[in-house]
Amino acid sequence: MKKLPEHGEVTPSALRDRKRYLLAALACAATTLATTPLFGLLDPANIVMLFLLTVLLVAVLLGLRPALLAAFLSVGLFDFFFVPPRFTFVVNDGQYLVTFAVMLVVAIITGRLAAGLRSRADESALAARHARALSEMARELSGALTLEQVAEITDRFLGAILQAKGDIVLYDRDGQPRPAVDHRTPHLVVEPRMAAIAFERGETVECSVLAESGCAAVYLPLKAPMRVRGVIAVAPAQSFTERLSAQRPHLETMASLVAIAIERIHYVDVAQRTQLQIVSERLRSSILSALSHDLRTPLAALVGLADSLACSRPPLGDAQRESAEAICEQAERLSGLVENLLDMARLHAGNVTLHKEWQAIEEVIGSSIKLLGRALAEHPVKVRLADDLPLIEFDAVLIERVFCNLLENAAKYSPAGSAIEIEVSLREERMEVRVADGGPGFSVAEAGTEALFEMFVRGESESALPGVGLGLAICRAIVEAHDGTIAAGNRLQGGACVTFTLPLGKPPLIEEEILPEQEEEAK
Amino acid sequence: MKENAPVVLVVEDEKQIRRFVRASLEEEGCRVFEADTLAGGLVEAGERKPDLIMLDLGLPDGNGVDFIRDLRGWSDAPILVLSARSNEKDKVQALDAGADDYLTKPFGVAELRARARALLRRQSRTEAASPLFEFGEVRVDLSRRVVTRNGEPVRLTPIEYRLLCVLLASAGKVLTQRHLLREVWGPSSVESYHYLRIYVGHLRHKLEIDPAQPRHFQTETGVGYRFQP
Repeated sequence: MKKLPEHGEVTPSALRDRKRYLLAALACAATTLATTPLFGLLDPANIVMLFLLTVLLVAVLLGLRPALLAAFLSVGLFDFFFVPPRFTFVVNDGQYLVTFAVMLVVAIITGRLAAGLRSRADESALAARHARALSEMARELSGALTLEQVAEITDRFLGAILQAKGDIVLYDRDGQPRPAVDHRTPHLVVEPRMAAIAFERGETVECSVLAESGCAAVYLPLKAPMRVRGVIAVAPAQSFTERLSAQRPHLETMASLVAIAIERIHYVDVAQRTQLQIVSERLRSSILSALSHDLRTPLAALVGLADSLACSRPPLGDAQRESAEAICEQAERLSGLVENLLDMARLHAGNVTLHKEWQAIEEVIGSSIKLLGRALAEHPVKVRLADDLPLIEFDAVLIERVFCNLLENAAKYSPAGSAIEIEVSLREERMEVRVADGGPGFSVAEAGTEALFEMFVRGESESALPGVGLGLAICRAIVEAHDGTIAAGNRLQGGACVTFTLPLGKPPLIEEEILPEQEEEAK
Repeated sequence: MKENAPVVLVVEDEKQIRRFVRASLEEEGCRVFEADTLAGGLVEAGERKPDLIMLDLGLPDGNGVDFIRDLRGWSDAPILVLSARSNEKDKVQALDAGADDYLTKPFGVAELRARARALLRRQSRTEAASPLFEFGEVRVDLSRRVVTRNGEPVRLTPIEYRLLCVLLASAGKVLTQRHLLREVWGPSSVESYHYLRIYVGHLRHKLEIDPAQPRHFQTETGVGYRFQP
């Protein structure tokens, strides 16, 4: 029988065993010594009884093997000291052989029984302790608020039942592992492949060979109600390796408790983050809308007042009218800039809600051209659409901004009279839109680079042309919000060309109507 | 100022905007009254019986859409909404509540006057409807259900024809997508925006010179469509 592992006990079991055999031998010697003076007074049968009692006590207190030793020793000592002729192992009376045999058998049987009883008592005490440790852990886990606390509680539990060490590895949604507690030196070496297998299959993986090399030997999946959250790797202390399988149920219970605790913490975290996000979102949008109102209102007044001054009656003198028109134009430009800045702020805040609808790209091209109106007066716009373009899902207001910005840029950077070309084609599950102008194009260093799409970057630095490099940055933010791509380059025949793509998706089915005439023909 | 000059009510909280709106409208020969709150606007509208109301959606004492619903209970004077860009949802709400058109700030005087003129004109000629419409190369005779382009008959499907009729009947006016879907496809189809898009596309391809840059069937992005004769 193995002695119980007391918490914190480190004596190797071999030493303990030797001590127990010694104690058993001492007990037999003591019995011999105590009985010797009584030799004349007691029957040999009663002396046998005393030896049997000793064996029984040894069995109860020290376990089966010491009891067996005691049984043999008792027979030997009884023979040597009490069976005539005394102080020899010679036996005169053959009857004593029966005594010895019975004594040995009785000693062995009682010893076994007693030891069995003892070991069962021990086992149930152990089970009780483990159950206590588990319930203790469950209680502590229910109050745990951080992953650090969970890791600490797990450590304590593993130490108590197995003198084992454990590390928790969490997996995110994409199956990427990360330690549950950052900045903590891991207790043990976790074999990543074993952990991954346990995580993917949702089953406990055990490999005792690993324990020898100091690796974790058992990998328990942390199965929470929503999904497997990770793996807890356990490495038992050297002397307990063989007891691992007996502890599997406890370990698995522990794993599910830890999993639930981790999931609970995760959702508390999510709830808190969402709350925070809602609050900051609300704040941001109220600041933005207040800001946009405050910026736009005076600009609207400025544009209107300057414009009404320019066309007031009786007409102003030429110089004054020109000034009024210039004020109006500048105010309009400022207003456009403010719109771009507000757009950028809104897009940069991250969570743009797209009002996606299935529609024809043609439509938003038309509305952008109409919206720009005067700005495109000196540039004919040629639109070339591939045949049978499907409907595509996008936010019309935002994609209109993309076209407006691209067309505005094209008009700004190309000489008056040169045409702007818009070309739409289909390419590999994507709709590709190219907006090209007849201007000088992007400089060689800039063409095809990402830098053009950064905020406040302009094609020609220090250029006399008005505008801040927000246009392309806005385009990129909008296109990327649609899972599209955008790139800028130069055409072979000259002129800048910005190309963006949008994913095609699956447009809803439209039942085509038949013309009444066709209907008649069909009849 | 003439006795029968049209009466316009401007409900707008920004004084400088009211000022130039008033100046522009007076040059159009209108009599202009002002209000700077919703409540004041409603009182004025009751007293002055305006022929046109210009309404800023962002007023300090409430939402302009409520004003429109309130007013539509007892008046069908045309309403021109003044609103900032990027408030497409507000515009649609206002139009669905009964507003007739909108102007996006900032706007110039010419644009303002053109819109005001269009609304006042429509207001004055409600009964004298003619079954004949002409725009560009296209001629539509509603009484004979005939559409021709350059003298050649154009074949339209029943839905296309119905859509064309609805658009023609509200020429110059912005019609929201929901409104068009309800009128053409019936109340159960008000969410099938892609149908509307497809059919407007059909009309453009059949009746516009350059369907990608339509002159008559104009898109009001995020809001709806407008037929411009």
